[in-house]
Amino acid sequence: MSERVRDMHLPFAARLLERHELTEDTALFRIAPEEAALPQLSRFVPGQFVQISVPGAGEVPISPADLPGGDGALELCVRRVGHVTELLHQQLPGAPLGIRGPFGNGFPMEEMSDHPVLLLAGGLGIAPLRSLLMHLLRHRDRFGEITLMYGARQPKLMLFREEMAALAARGEMRLYLTVDFAPETNGIQSCAVGLLPDLLKGFRFDAPATYAAVCGPPPLYRCLIADLEQAGVAPGRIMLSLERRMRCGVGRCCHCAIGQKLCCVDGPVFRAGELKDIPEAL
Amino acid sequence: MEKSFLEATQLSSFLETLRLFGELHGPTVTDAGVTTFAPIAAPSQLRIDYRRTQIPPKKYLLPFREQLLSYREGRYAEPAEAPPAIVLFALHPCDLAGIAYLDLVFLGENTDPGYAARRARLTLVGISCEPDDFCFCSAPNSEANCDAFLTTIKGGYIFSAVTARGEEIAAAAADLFSAADVPQSLAALHPGTGVAPQDPELRFSDNPLWQKFADTCVSCGACSVCCPTCYCFDVREYPALNGGGVRIREWDNCFFASHGEVAGANFRPTRLDRLRYRFLHKYCGFTPLQGITSCVGCGRCKAVCPVGIDLRELFSVAGGEMSP
Repeated sequence: MSERVRDMHLPFAARLLERHELTEDTALFRIAPEEAALPQLSRFVPGQFVQISVPGAGEVPISPADLPGGDGALELCVRRVGHVTELLHQQLPGAPLGIRGPFGNGFPMEEMSDHPVLLLAGGLGIAPLRSLLMHLLRHRDRFGEITLMYGARQPKLMLFREEMAALAARGEMRLYLTVDFAPETNGIQSCAVGLLPDLLKGFRFDAPATYAAVCGPPPLYRCLIADLEQAGVAPGRIMLSLERRMRCGVGRCCHCAIGQKLCCVDGPVFRAGELKDIPEAL
Repeated sequence: MEKSFLEATQLSSFLETLRLFGELHGPTVTDAGVTTFAPIAAPSQLRIDYRRTQIPPKKYLLPFREQLLSYREGRYAEPAEAPPAIVLFALHPCDLAGIAYLDLVFLGENTDPGYAARRARLTLVGISCEPDDFCFCSAPNSEANCDAFLTTIKGGYIFSAVTARGEEIAAAAADLFSAADVPQSLAALHPGTGVAPQDPELRFSDNPLWQKFADTCVSCGACSVCCPTCYCFDVREYPALNGGGVRIREWDNCFFASHGEVAGANFRPTRLDRLRYRFLHKYCGFTPLQGITSCVGCGRCKAVCPVGIDLRELFSVAGGEMSP
């Protein structure tokens, strides 16, 4: 008799280790899964997602903000935006949670090696791209130039700002920050004011060799894809991390359908070229 | 494939034999006049000459609402469900094709445990049917996708064993059969009308009929509920007052506006979007079943539609465009 296959619906037990407030509605959660989950979670590729269970509320798909640490703990950057995330934000360290995954395809790390990588994040889109960035920096010698462009609505909503600045100061990546507007009162001068596409317009880079990774609110994709293509980045090298309500994670519930594709198994990372003729994609 | 003749007068005895393989369910009519698959306690309840049930047999494999798991004190547990053995009797080929499609979805990679457990305990006995005006299946006499099949002929039925379980049924019912003159080609009895051929570009063109359908559609979702192959589901969680709780899944419907929602946006905000989406999925398939049509031509969507939307109207127009 072969070993009984674990029910894909069944979450592993997990525990909330700690949380750090990042903004008024967004926090970074560190979550420790039970030991039995570690072999599965160690297969995590940047861009994949996990289903986090909050008892009493249900599940929510989250792209971790970093790969699991040596102890298997995961960092999840979560905005309080719905039923499940609201309850997650109310949890105290030690609270029981559940975790399933990883699901989806993730970024094609092998294919991207030796190439320059341009990361473009808008708002909370920095979360999945942070796991990609951390992976790139940990294997710095395998990749070309690394550039992060990150736009937020205003300075106080910029996530991981100090961390990104410290990483850029080490000289291993280039960092460009921009905010939609900067209230005069807060005195922060060190980032541009304007939209992400404005940053890209003045950027000189080896476009034909570059892989771009984009994550942000839906309107961001449309203009960035056009700008990247115009700059000379091939549609097959523009990787977009998309968001849908993924209920099952294994391609059954159909809530995450994008045309004839499913975000949870064909994505959540798609190439711009794949989505070209799908009106409901972006 | 061995064929034997079952005289109509032997049907009651045959049903008793089928009970050896599980609880007998078949087409019957409720007090409210709805044709439905339900337990058959006495042969008189059976409506073997039915046209179509309102709810397809998918309910035996994907219950409308089902517990996925329970949780208590930080641990999640699967339900300890042992599904009963059931013999589904007198399924039409379209419904059998519907189950075969669901098998592709739920028994493929990452097999769904609940579905697989129920499927393994299900014995399928098909029966040929006579298409009516709503039907557009391609093979009303197909013996595929079942354990055993009855083809209606004058005075009785031709029995065919299809699977090993079908052979077991044949062996158990051997005394009831007599040798038969089997017609050379059973398929020729009722030629199917055929599900329209699939071509995403053609179907999802800017044909004005789409807008016409969208203008009349009321997004009631009845066509999805009644479809033998619609399987999309939602997952909900219900905490109990004394701690712990359950997570369930239940049928969902892509005609509901909530289906395409994410935080702050909806990827299918209009009825036109949702109509196109449903029929793109139905006729052109999804990953990983892209290119496989899941319409089995049972005609339920047309039969239940309160505003009379008939997709064949679009197909015939599109088909006309195709011809030289």
